[in-house]
Amino acid sequence: MHYFKTREDSIVANLRTVPSALATDARPVEAPHSDGLAGRTEIALERRAPRQLAVTIVATVERQHLSQLKRLLRTMAKNPEKNSVMPLSALPRTHFARLLVLDATLDLEGAPLEPQLIYMADVDEPAEGDAPLERCLVELVEVAGDGLDRIFGACVGYPPPSRATRRRRLAFLREHLVEPAAAYVNTVGRGVRQIRQEADLRTAIRGFLDRAETDWDQRDPTEVRAGIRDFVNTQGNLDWARTPPPSSGLGDRARDIVDLLGRPLGLAVLSPVLVPALPLAALLLRRQEKRDQPAPEKPTLDHVRQLAELEDHGAQNQFSAIGFVKPGLLRQLTTEVVTRAIDYASRHRYRHANLAGVKTIHFARWVFLDDRRRLIFASNYDGSLESYNDDFVDKVWWGLNPVFSNGVGYPRTSWLFFGGAKQEQQFKDYLRNHQAPTQVWFSAYPDLTALNIENNARLRAGLYGEMSSEETQEWLRRL
Amino acid sequence: MAAATLNEDLEKEDIQGLLRRGYGHLPTADFLLLRIVEPSRAAAWLDRLADEVTNAAGKSRGTAVNVALSLSGLSKLGLPSSALEGFSGRFLEGMTASYRSRALGDLDDDAPEHWRWGGPDTAPVDLLVLLYAKNEDLLKRLNEELAGGLATDGLTLVQRLDTQWSEREHFGFRDGIAQPAVKGLRDGSPLDAIKAGEFVLGYRNEYGLLAERPLVHQSADPGGILPPASLSENSQDPASEDRDLGRNGSYLVLRQLSQDVSGFWAFVDRASCRAYGHSDPAARTKLAAKIVGRWPDGSPLVLSPDSEDQGPDDDFRYHHIDPHGLRCPVGAHIRRTHPRDSLDPDPGSERSVEVDKRHRILRRGRTYGAPLSREAALNGTHHEDEERGLHFICLCANIARQFEFVQHTWANNPKFGGLDDDPDPLIGRAGRAFTVQAEPVSRRVTGLPSFVGMRGGAYFFLPGLRALRYLASLAPGEGG
Repeated sequence: MHYFKTREDSIVANLRTVPSALATDARPVEAPHSDGLAGRTEIALERRAPRQLAVTIVATVERQHLSQLKRLLRTMAKNPEKNSVMPLSALPRTHFARLLVLDATLDLEGAPLEPQLIYMADVDEPAEGDAPLERCLVELVEVAGDGLDRIFGACVGYPPPSRATRRRRLAFLREHLVEPAAAYVNTVGRGVRQIRQEADLRTAIRGFLDRAETDWDQRDPTEVRAGIRDFVNTQGNLDWARTPPPSSGLGDRARDIVDLLGRPLGLAVLSPVLVPALPLAALLLRRQEKRDQPAPEKPTLDHVRQLAELEDHGAQNQFSAIGFVKPGLLRQLTTEVVTRAIDYASRHRYRHANLAGVKTIHFARWVFLDDRRRLIFASNYDGSLESYNDDFVDKVWWGLNPVFSNGVGYPRTSWLFFGGAKQEQQFKDYLRNHQAPTQVWFSAYPDLTALNIENNARLRAGLYGEMSSEETQEWLRRL
Repeated sequence: MAAATLNEDLEKEDIQGLLRRGYGHLPTADFLLLRIVEPSRAAAWLDRLADEVTNAAGKSRGTAVNVALSLSGLSKLGLPSSALEGFSGRFLEGMTASYRSRALGDLDDDAPEHWRWGGPDTAPVDLLVLLYAKNEDLLKRLNEELAGGLATDGLTLVQRLDTQWSEREHFGFRDGIAQPAVKGLRDGSPLDAIKAGEFVLGYRNEYGLLAERPLVHQSADPGGILPPASLSENSQDPASEDRDLGRNGSYLVLRQLSQDVSGFWAFVDRASCRAYGHSDPAARTKLAAKIVGRWPDGSPLVLSPDSEDQGPDDDFRYHHIDPHGLRCPVGAHIRRTHPRDSLDPDPGSERSVEVDKRHRILRRGRTYGAPLSREAALNGTHHEDEERGLHFICLCANIARQFEFVQHTWANNPKFGGLDDDPDPLIGRAGRAFTVQAEPVSRRVTGLPSFVGMRGGAYFFLPGLRALRYLASLAPGEGG
């Protein structure tokens, strides 16, 4: 049921490189320093931009342990950063993490599905060595071994307390690791450490401008920039800002190019089959769409309350939604192809701060569950659910319809791309109905929106180097 | 009874007048918050009141009456839960759920448990009656006529919200300038002409769809009072036997907001003073204008960046004149609550305006309390305990996408427009910053206190007139 490709495959499928706009010559960060934000474990020197891995672990929960597990998660949820079970802030390269329990249910044929525990994390790959995903798991076991015992101890196949060794824990995680069908990263290659450092930089510069006795109005942009730079130069804790951020490694770039060309090449090879098959598939799909049964159902107040209690506690929010894939080979294939296309586009096209006009999503992933009968979508986004949904309806309906319309009950689409999300209220109700409570949710930088992060990165990138007066003015607007 | 196809002509006789007018020609007004004690007598009273309710068809008269109901009011009148379920989720959840308070910014001193009305510990509010008149005498007479014998009519008065007419809100700025024009009821500029369905239930909205609305099975309307539910091509079509309780109705949001006028001017004075603490009246007014986005006379900063002169002009967009907020700051109150063409996708484009159009509200608020001049506010020559503020009222068809979105995603959001820590400087919560964009570099005002307090609020349903009569017909008559 859960599969795990060879290590090398996973690396290739999960890795992303740094965007070209920020990619400058790799120069090592000169000296280790202390993070401005709450003492975190020091990370090894970053010589190349870390790629972000979408770690997903799925395990079946023993029914008799379900309520106990939920209680445990509720305890954790009170303080996801620092709690006695599994303090997520102890995982220094983790951007976001969540734990959620899917209740037992029946599949489309009425067969029972056991409750499941899902752990998802967006993690910077470790700086050195091979098999980064494996090393993320090792780190998880090392940092949170006891916590893992308590959490995954509720799951089928987890070693009992007396036998939970490092090796067995690791084996369990490895066995339950699931590769996402598609993963989106707001900005490939920008690590937790860089994000937090650059936020500190902005705060420091802003504070300097607010405090300074200087009447900035009387200065020209170049003088203001020089003033800021002088200030940064005097701040020992900002010395890292004097060098550009790490850029993507050669190996990463090479793998990207192979993937960029390789996947279309594969399609080209298959084209003698695909070209005649596609129109036929489209017609068949259209026929099925007409027979689809949208389920316009308002979410119950209890369901809404349960979800809303978990929302709007800061600048960011989480979203987890799960649904059954419509039965039949055609829908299975469509889901497969579309998620692969999304993964490809995320890796090569939407890799820098902008997903087709939506600039508020930090990370998102689609993961097949239950032998591809169900698909779960999980994301970390900025602002309210209403605005997130509005972005779907207004800006990226064409990207969501092809994937979500393979879900049972989705608002009626036409030719895969049209309709669907355009039926605003029905679409919003559908999402709410399929949303599952994210029992535990962690963010490494809860006060930063994706726009803030991008802005801070550009602020840092423009601190040194030649700039015309206009460019300087443009740069100063970031403050 | 077969379902009718959608009639796009607005049924003005059935629509309450508040959707068409703010009754600016009727300067005196009272808003009555009532509780239903005895449903059958209250229903009889409501049925009589329906004769007096001002619709959107006639010419303006010397008085006007409009009425709205809360969820508890609908329920007490006997609307079955199957029909209640058709109302929007936000209306059913109410304004006081803890997660709602977070979204609306009703926290700490502004939390529902401190409200004077509408909170968890205050008397339930079932009805809202809005009375408007040309003068105090007429208003008094209207009060006596309609609400003179509340007790015998099975009602009690929870709170009378009196108002004090003013074109300017209490901080001293012309208010109510930017208003959407409901297509079919009013003409408006391309920016303001909004499809009726954004405000009136039962018509197409800016998505070309019908908003969700309450329907009742025809068997629940034996008298045939309600209009048949219209069909539209979207697949949420009601069954043909349904009748439309929502048609021609709207949602009404009422929030009593107190304003700390002396606090506002004292802060602005401090934040704009010259070296050694000397007040700078011109800088003070300018900073206040930057916070609002308009000068006190209503001149928009985008058109009049240096001084007031334009008057309450509203024919402007942001992006092409002022993309970076050098004239009107990105975080200014009017720029964030109605961003026009300044947001993604494609600022400056029609696509950007289209997004703005899906988040408009029809504002119908009135000020209350004696005005306090700027001078008196600055000199401290006034009684601190005198309260003043705004009975904020807005109308919309989708509370979540319109009122709450504007309040949460735009006004309260410290990250609005790419900002870092700047909620609405005028109505937002305390302790944050206000960035005034400038060249060569922006200036930041920090430590803003809260100038506006929340004293009470609720979501109401403003029914069409047939729906109002239907609701009044539900309770069993007295003695059977």
